[in-house]
Amino acid sequence: MTTELRPELGDFSSIICLKAIITGIEEALGDKTTQIALVAAGRARGRNLAASIGLDNSSLSLEDITSKVAFALGKEGTRLLILDKIEPKGEGYKVYTRETVCSSGEELGSSRVCGFTLGAVQGVLETVSGKRLRGRQTESVLRGSHQDVFEFDPVG
Amino acid sequence: MSSLSALQGLLQSYVVSSPDIQGAAVVTPDGLPLASVLPNAMDEEKTAAMSAAMLSLGERIGKELARGNIDRVFVQGDAGYGVLTSCGDDAMLLTLASKDAKQGMLFLQIKQMSEKVSAAMGSSSSFAAV
Repeated sequence: MTTELRPELGDFSSIICLKAIITGIEEALGDKTTQIALVAAGRARGRNLAASIGLDNSSLSLEDITSKVAFALGKEGTRLLILDKIEPKGEGYKVYTRETVCSSGEELGSSRVCGFTLGAVQGVLETVSGKRLRGRQTESVLRGSHQDVFEFDPVG
Repeated sequence: MSSLSALQGLLQSYVVSSPDIQGAAVVTPDGLPLASVLPNAMDEEKTAAMSAAMLSLGERIGKELARGNIDRVFVQGDAGYGVLTSCGDDAMLLTLASKDAKQGMLFLQIKQMSEKVSAAMGSSSSFAAV
């Protein structure tokens, strides 16, 4: 683990504090407004990430893209999620993830949906595909699935 | 013509229809831009997210502070107006107008444009998932 940002505590912070930030904003602004902001923030993060690992204007296969993103966001990276698979679905994509930061620490049956995580994956895929996408979470580990699954379709 | 092109054409006509209307955008309720005619300095992505968040917050204020259903969110600055209105369940309209705009006329134009956007969204299966 690199400790570039904080010399003693390192670069990582507890999910407990992150969730407190999210729930605090939800209480102040409401779930919907918070979700819009988190998805927008995630998309920006995803676009920056894609550029930083050379995925913009790349002709890599979906498997190679998955591998690079999984590394950058997974155990060896920022630990946002475990990315299992990205597969094409029509003109869009279906993405399978686990241990997303959004679903962690939630009680089973919770109605929480991934915002930042969905946005981050969306930002990467928009950069890679050059298409504007609309994402939605179709499965959740909080509601009986083994993975958090996102589907992305081109807008319009 | 694609659905997005048609929507973009509607917005172009809307903005040129009045010298007081300086820009407009149609965005999804979750903050994605569908079409826009905005001043060059404005980022379409940021504007869309901001607009969706603002209307959502307005709706929350309406609910939590017992103001009822929200017709519009209206921002008045010394350089002009920013008005957000819902266009059904699938889209919202942002209108930017100059400080010289007459509010009654502006609201009428916005209402008519909202109806056109709703109709365009409703008639296109491309927006079914939006």
